[in-house]
Amino acid sequence: MTNYLIRRFIQMSLVVVAASMAIYFLLWLAPGGPLDELRQAGRGGVRQNAGFNDEQIRRISEYLGLHRGPFWGYVAWLTGEDWFKAIGREELQTSTCRSAENTCSKGVVRGDFGTSWNIARGSPVGDVLLSRLRNTMILMLSATVLSLVIAIPIGIISAVKQYSRLDYFVTTFSFFGTAMPVFWFGLMMIILFGGNQSPLYKVFGFPYLPTGNVTLVRAPLPGSLLALLDATPGSALDIAVHAILPTMVLSLLYMAGWSRFMRSSMLEVLRQDFVRTARAKGLRERIVIVKHAMRNALIPLITIVVFQIPGVFGGATITETVFNWPGMGFLYVYALGASDYPVAMAFLFISAVLVVIASLLGDVLYTIVDPRIRFS
Amino acid sequence: MAVAELKSETLSTIKEEHWFTVIGRRFLRHKLAVVGMIMVLIFILMAIFANVLAPYDPYKQGLAPSYSNPSPEHLLGTDELGRDVFSRLLYAARISLFVTVLVNFVSETIGVLMGAISGYFGKWVDSLIQRIVEFLLTLPTLPLLLFFSAMLRGMTIPGLPDEWSKAIIISLVLIAFGWLGSTRLVRGMVLSLREQEFVQAARALGASDWKIITRHMIPNSLAPVIVSLTLGLGGVIVLEAALSFLGFGITPPVPTWGNMLQNVQERMWQQPWLAFYPGLCIFLTSLSFNYIGDGLRDALDPRLKL
Repeated sequence: MTNYLIRRFIQMSLVVVAASMAIYFLLWLAPGGPLDELRQAGRGGVRQNAGFNDEQIRRISEYLGLHRGPFWGYVAWLTGEDWFKAIGREELQTSTCRSAENTCSKGVVRGDFGTSWNIARGSPVGDVLLSRLRNTMILMLSATVLSLVIAIPIGIISAVKQYSRLDYFVTTFSFFGTAMPVFWFGLMMIILFGGNQSPLYKVFGFPYLPTGNVTLVRAPLPGSLLALLDATPGSALDIAVHAILPTMVLSLLYMAGWSRFMRSSMLEVLRQDFVRTARAKGLRERIVIVKHAMRNALIPLITIVVFQIPGVFGGATITETVFNWPGMGFLYVYALGASDYPVAMAFLFISAVLVVIASLLGDVLYTIVDPRIRFS
Repeated sequence: MAVAELKSETLSTIKEEHWFTVIGRRFLRHKLAVVGMIMVLIFILMAIFANVLAPYDPYKQGLAPSYSNPSPEHLLGTDELGRDVFSRLLYAARISLFVTVLVNFVSETIGVLMGAISGYFGKWVDSLIQRIVEFLLTLPTLPLLLFFSAMLRGMTIPGLPDEWSKAIIISLVLIAFGWLGSTRLVRGMVLSLREQEFVQAARALGASDWKIITRHMIPNSLAPVIVSLTLGLGGVIVLEAALSFLGFGITPPVPTWGNMLQNVQERMWQQPWLAFYPGLCIFLTSLSFNYIGDGLRDALDPRLKL
């Protein structure tokens, strides 16, 4: 086991380094980017006089560290730039680092993801990510827990009562769920339930739900659910009510897939010999299902739960965008759109690390749950 | 001798049914799959005859005041630039279906070849291909798709009209991650086929590797590939729409079902149909593909059903 773990750790590090390297070099190869934008402006874009000359562009590229080229750029991104001085390659440092040593980037291996270029110019990427982490975790954890709590029993019951009306309903539901574009579903929910223009509010006087952001900025408007509950801006209640619509959309999506997954896993277990033996022993059907079949059918669920770990960090890109939920996924889309590469890189890197950790964790958990599986 | 002749005579009197007729009959039994097939045909016809069916040029602005309500002249009203939404919806079908079909056929072909090569040759070829597949599968898909499309946004293919060049670039991004599933599927099939007698017989007869792969391995593992291809069509259409919706797929003014939903948020309650119809098209197409796939799975191999 120890040998196996050591080998896996080495493999994992290689995978992560290869992935980050590939992403970093692609950023260099790609057309566009911050310097191109400045050059465009220099050729007389929208604001004629705001053009940049070559000298200014050189200064900016030294400030951002773009003068290093892809190879040294990646080395600096990974290991920091403070040690360049020690080996006599001061020209590879950014201009700020050269003038003040404490501003030097420490590199990803020492937990420094550099500074944001655009969306929060000059502030450390780590802080930018952390500021969004809470929102994403609220949304992802509640959606994950809610979906599991509902999807597991539904899947099991529909497998036990195969071809019943409930089973057909579950099958149809999961078909609809996989075909449904999340963003469209989100928009439809907003039209129905959100804002004081929604038909449910205008026609039936049903209290409407907030459609964006995490908290209120000022006192709630009359007619909304927030006003009805008398929520103070920024309170836990405020956040919970804001989370209703995005959580609902996300959970329905997860439930569609997971209930189907649970159903097929349960069907497979129910066909096995030990279940027949348990029945032949004369055990009550309830005991057979709960104690023998269900416990085994839950094992494949490990994969799903484990791979939610990167999800809880990375958020739900599309759902967050539709509901303007300021989480990680939303931040990532924004960073890509604004060519804020350090933020995008950090997001992808942490996601990749979490994915490989999750897959290792899944494999280890399988050996614990099912002693027949061994690694060598 | 007489017995043998008798047997062959009885055999020939049993009306032989072509394989396709059997599959076809089994498929027709799945009602929802048939409905899905009809829906997809309607969408395909819509896309092919968009230039005949569309009452207006989808790019022409100011046909009517912005955000006009549906009327006999403009069946689904007009958008923020006064373009006819119905015409745009028809032309969008072209791009969306083209991308979906291209991505699926190319990535399934790559997947089948890679899977067959990987499973047939084994050893280092197999481990190399499998490591690449595992590596790509562990990476977070949607963020990476967004990343690649963001990187390639500025690129154009020379000599092609703008909309098709954009469509092909986004297809390439989707293909890069699209071939993994079928590679694994075919590899598994080939691994078990490799040990079977008819393959050994072919090898004993001196058939080349290439011939064994193309004549024996691929045809025998095609049934699940066809199913996964049809099911994949539904997934890709939603994925492409998601990229376009987020602004990283095919960008306006070229209409696709995904990017038509991009700017609807401001006028969502005043003109809800602007948000409703493009999404409904995506949903119905994807649902239809899924049902066709389900029907094909039942028809091709009843045991495959979960």
